[in-house]
Amino acid sequence: MKQFTLSLLCVFLAATAWSQTQIKGTVMDAITSEPLPDVTLRLEKSAAETMTNAMGVFVLNNLTQEGDQILLVLKNGFITKRLPIILTTGQTLNLDVITLDVDISAEQQQIGLISLSDNDLNSGDDDLGNFNVSGLLSAGRDAFLSAAAFDWSATFFRPRGLDNANGKVLINGIEMNKQFNGRPQWGNWGGLNDAQRNREFSQGLTPSEYSFGGLAGVTNIVMRASQEREGGRISYAAANASYQGRVMASYNSGLNGNGWAYSVLLARRFGEEGFQDGTLYDANSMYLSVEKKINDAHSLNFTGFYTPNRRGRATAITEEQFDLKGRTYNPFWGYQDGEKRNTREREIEEPVLMLNHYWTLSDKTTINSNLGYQFGSIKSGRVDNGSLRNPAPNYYQLLPSYALQDPNPTAYDFQNAYLLEQDFINDGQFDWNSLYQANANGGNSNIILQDDVIDDSQLSANVIINSQVTDAITIDGNVSYRGLKSENYAQVSDLLGGDGFLDIDNFSVSESQDGQDGDLAQSDVRNPNRVVVEGDRYKYNYDMDATVVSGFAQAQFTYNKVDFYVSGTASNTSYQRTGLYENGNFTGSRSFGPSEKLSFTNGGIKAGATYKLSGRHLIDVNAGYYSVAPGIRNSFSNARQNNDVVIGLESEQIQSVDASYIFRSPIVKGRLTGFYTGFQKGTDIGFFFTQNSIAGTEASFVQEVLTNVERRNIGAELGVEAQVLPTLKLKAAASVGQYTYANNPNIYYTSDDFEGPQTFGDGTTAIKDLHVAGGPERAYQLGFEYRDPEFWNFGLTVNYFSNSYLDFSNLARTANFNQDIDGQPFNDYDTDVARDLLRQTEIDDYFLVNIIGGKSWRVGDYFVGFFATVNNVLDETYITGGFEDSRRANYRSSLEEAQRDTPVFGDRLFFGRGTTYYVNAYVRF
Amino acid sequence: MKTIKLTHVFAAIIALLTITSCVQDDDFSTPDLTATDPVLDGEVISVSALRNLFLQEGETVDLTESTQYVEGFVISSDESGNWFEEIIIQDNATAPTAGVRILIDESPLFTYYEIGRKIFVKLGGLHLGESNGVLTLGVTNNLEKIPAPLQFDYIQRSATVETIVPVETTISNLSEDLENIFIKLTDVQFAKEEVIDQSLTYAGEPLDEFDGERTIFSCATEQTLILSTSTFANFKSIALPTGRGSISGVLTRNFFGEDFNLAINDRNDVVFDQAERCDPVEIDCGVADAAGSTILFEDFFETQATNSPISGNGWTNYQQEGSETWEAYSSGGQNASLGISARVGSFQSGDDATIAWLITPMLDLQANTGETLQFMTSNSFSDGSTLDLLFSSDWDGTEATIATATWDVLPAGVIVDDGDFFGDWIDSGIVDLSCIESNGYVAFRYSGSGDADFDGTFELDEIQINAN
Repeated sequence: MKQFTLSLLCVFLAATAWSQTQIKGTVMDAITSEPLPDVTLRLEKSAAETMTNAMGVFVLNNLTQEGDQILLVLKNGFITKRLPIILTTGQTLNLDVITLDVDISAEQQQIGLISLSDNDLNSGDDDLGNFNVSGLLSAGRDAFLSAAAFDWSATFFRPRGLDNANGKVLINGIEMNKQFNGRPQWGNWGGLNDAQRNREFSQGLTPSEYSFGGLAGVTNIVMRASQEREGGRISYAAANASYQGRVMASYNSGLNGNGWAYSVLLARRFGEEGFQDGTLYDANSMYLSVEKKINDAHSLNFTGFYTPNRRGRATAITEEQFDLKGRTYNPFWGYQDGEKRNTREREIEEPVLMLNHYWTLSDKTTINSNLGYQFGSIKSGRVDNGSLRNPAPNYYQLLPSYALQDPNPTAYDFQNAYLLEQDFINDGQFDWNSLYQANANGGNSNIILQDDVIDDSQLSANVIINSQVTDAITIDGNVSYRGLKSENYAQVSDLLGGDGFLDIDNFSVSESQDGQDGDLAQSDVRNPNRVVVEGDRYKYNYDMDATVVSGFAQAQFTYNKVDFYVSGTASNTSYQRTGLYENGNFTGSRSFGPSEKLSFTNGGIKAGATYKLSGRHLIDVNAGYYSVAPGIRNSFSNARQNNDVVIGLESEQIQSVDASYIFRSPIVKGRLTGFYTGFQKGTDIGFFFTQNSIAGTEASFVQEVLTNVERRNIGAELGVEAQVLPTLKLKAAASVGQYTYANNPNIYYTSDDFEGPQTFGDGTTAIKDLHVAGGPERAYQLGFEYRDPEFWNFGLTVNYFSNSYLDFSNLARTANFNQDIDGQPFNDYDTDVARDLLRQTEIDDYFLVNIIGGKSWRVGDYFVGFFATVNNVLDETYITGGFEDSRRANYRSSLEEAQRDTPVFGDRLFFGRGTTYYVNAYVRF
Repeated sequence: MKTIKLTHVFAAIIALLTITSCVQDDDFSTPDLTATDPVLDGEVISVSALRNLFLQEGETVDLTESTQYVEGFVISSDESGNWFEEIIIQDNATAPTAGVRILIDESPLFTYYEIGRKIFVKLGGLHLGESNGVLTLGVTNNLEKIPAPLQFDYIQRSATVETIVPVETTISNLSEDLENIFIKLTDVQFAKEEVIDQSLTYAGEPLDEFDGERTIFSCATEQTLILSTSTFANFKSIALPTGRGSISGVLTRNFFGEDFNLAINDRNDVVFDQAERCDPVEIDCGVADAAGSTILFEDFFETQATNSPISGNGWTNYQQEGSETWEAYSSGGQNASLGISARVGSFQSGDDATIAWLITPMLDLQANTGETLQFMTSNSFSDGSTLDLLFSSDWDGTEATIATATWDVLPAGVIVDDGDFFGDWIDSGIVDLSCIESNGYVAFRYSGSGDADFDGTFELDEIQINAN
């Protein structure tokens, strides 16, 4: 602040007579007093712009403006400064030294990113837990995005109700979203935070130089040696949320005299368990980038990173389990050798290698060519219990509700319930010994540990062109190719004491006319009754080939009063499954060999404009209309067993429009946005076990396929911040939305337990106007940030959440709901009662209070600091999401459940974390 | 600023990485699961002593105050899904004398209590009684399952695992003493109507609910026993073998406790290693539209003396086994006779086996044409006992050769079924005999024993053999 005042003083004193109007000065780091290169200086509302040289010196020449002006001082990672200056024509304004403060929010942003990657690692097979992150990457840009990123992400809050797959994540211009489900796999670059400081984010539909993007924007992470901030950094973090500790060290050489630059990073994150019990965390991260600047026109960069991580997972629990064990309860682990061993570990090892060529054709045009290769595997472990009963410690028969399921329990039932309850409270964890015991009789194992493995190898190539045609017009375009070969199979990971495992489908054995020798139970009729050992593939085995060829073109226009853009894209996506096993339930080409080849051609346009009413008032409007190919996950109804393609599969169509009013004054900044997005022809596939009668079968493991899904996301966002004192900022943010289904989608069921696709009634499920589950639809924040001149800061936010809904059973909303076993309606069906039973459950509202603080010092040549966050300070218990169980989802069994004190198959709930902390200390040099 | 050597930085980092705690890797060793003999704090009694306790009391025994343990060897296995939440133990691996069923609310059980494992069951807190017709240990007076959390409080495993040697016996020798015991029946097959006329599975037919009941047929004695298989058994959809051989399993009773059932542990218990079956030869001329006007033979028993063996009118009334014979009787009420009728039954006979024949005089089928047979039957709790309608053309008419003569089955004649109401008389239909080219004898053969499951009564009347 003192220096700021000083520099203001300079403005008035340092005017020297010159023939032309210019501004000069030196920009330095406020803490280290190091000169800062590559700082942008721009006169607001003009095109006048320059950058500092390596000595931090700048000169802004040939100015035509005069009088009161604002000089913007911008550098990535530093707090932008807006200097009021007075220009006198023909004079040089010498600003002497301008200091910039490190933007501590960059550190905060990292915390967000960390919890993000961690959360993503943690999310299981469920669709919840994958929240949209795009806002995170632009945190600090405005009060709303900052709230969404740091304070709302823990609640599954999704800006505008958009799934993760709607935001594109690029690294060095190469798209990283997985073709399987369209989502970025954050674990693949977890722990590389220090190397990912340079990011370019385009929010929503706004234009990106790299890609047409999606509804939730485009993030390009630049991991390029010459762009990493020179110097080294070591940090240590301690936490109790996802992991317990993190060490990270990085060094960036900067570009040396010979045109070489390199960048390295090593990190480790670890923990025996996070907030939830038994969730081990074991992740190493390595990164290397080497760049050679060949000449002024050409640079060649290599970037590689490898971030193997292993994580013990947790799951959603019922209210009954929560009441007995608390929110940290995780049924997936049990003691073995005195250690907590998790049955569901996920291991991700997918290194990425890339070559990037940067070609500056002229000062107006650049061509960037990229080649990327990613390979490795994702392994998700679980128990294969063969023909034995599910050994989970929270199996429904082991809970008191099961003993008390009858309307008038006997004394024996109460005794049993008590015993089960005590057992669950005192233990309730996985019994590893009983698994070994089950295999101890010699010979083949009855129960084993397996991994579901996805072995991907993907080659990506693209060329990106950016050209400034005139001062006002910029053209961007790209052509890109992605080819994926994905091997998918189950693998024996631990025989748990036995000698082998018989590879048959035990659920089909009893249906098989000639028993184990028959085809029906065979995973692969070409290799019947195989005994597999650790490391062998079994159960299912198929390849998936996917190719995407796409291109986009865009023009951006910048004028005094209005900026606008128009973008167009076209792509072709193709998928083909190749079955390597001939499944006994689906013999011949139904499961073996190549499937039909799916091909989707898509395109779209988007356009938008920013109208500058004045420097303080802006109107921003964006609109888009495009279609996207379904992900691999939603294209094949049961890829593990057969070649069946989803019936009625189509590309999803999206229309979106948003309009914002943006207000900027020196003290108050705010944004108010209204948005509407419509989705049509969406597809969704679910897998579950149900005891609803389907085609006369009383228990079946089904694939549930929804097509022609229409959704509508509508709402408004508000973010306001006020710099009421130079040291104190107040902020407020709100998001109010409604994310609902807009029709009754088509739905059908397949299974190896019954014939053909089955539909009920008119073949739809009545979910129109129900809410899409996934975090609160309404979120509000009030908070402040205090930034002391003595380099410490403190912030507090109070957040309120409401209108989140549990995911519902689609099956219960089909005509199957009121069908008795003979397909006729239940004779006791009462529509009023049914309406009550089918009402979507709304989760209780809750408050979360978060605080953040930090301090930094300069010690000799070192820059030392720490920061800490404490989330959910008041230790509020809250539910972030959950889903209805479809196991007994017809009228009669739903009614029975509703009449029990504690349901046997209650809703499965995700509980938010209690008070958690994250403390990070670092040294920079 | 750049005085710090990179090497120092990374040395520091590697040190940090090493110091900071390691996460448990995935390399777990197999735990030692060797069982050791438990130290018991009470007296150990045998299963037969336990059974005697029940037989003395005659009703469910409350063992709450007991300090004893019962020991036994496991003979059932739920590995194939044919048993559920119960184990059966018997007192010895070889030559057992008693067995008992133990109900436990847990699945699977075979992983702890494999076949041949010796176990000790703490009796204090349990009840002993009869459930589903067999001796059972459970909790409460209703003999409920032992709650899963208490499983190891009640049951302890010994280190001993022995091979169970099945008790070889025959269907006619089955008795309550063999309940809950692992037995073996030799030279048996599945009933012809189940595996030849149809090809039924163990328990995978649409009508099979909870259990599939199939008929084991003894080649030696022609007696039958129900094989009961759970519809949850993983072999339920497998077709019954058509051959002949031995079958081993636990002798138990059906759900209602009425009839003996055999239950196997898995398909390996069925060893039908001979392809050739032992079905009686059938002579089936079908059913005639009407009976002829000439009466070759008839007897409505109205001239017989009640409570005396059937005699005269050319009848041969022969006791092949046991003490029971066809007798004339007269009765009114709900279970009325048709005037005077004939009946036979082994109820309370004390016989190990009962085989009683009633044979017509020789019928001249060569000289006549259009011969038919008609009769009426009724039963009273026929259970596992049987009445067969037979024909022989090579019997010489003497009692000494009845057992050795060739007797073929006349399947067209309807004989009362165990499921029919005991008061009803069932018409045989007009059994056509016209395809038989030789002269011979028609016989009614009763098979039963003094055991409650095989001691039913059959009634017979209005026998008529006509010709054109």
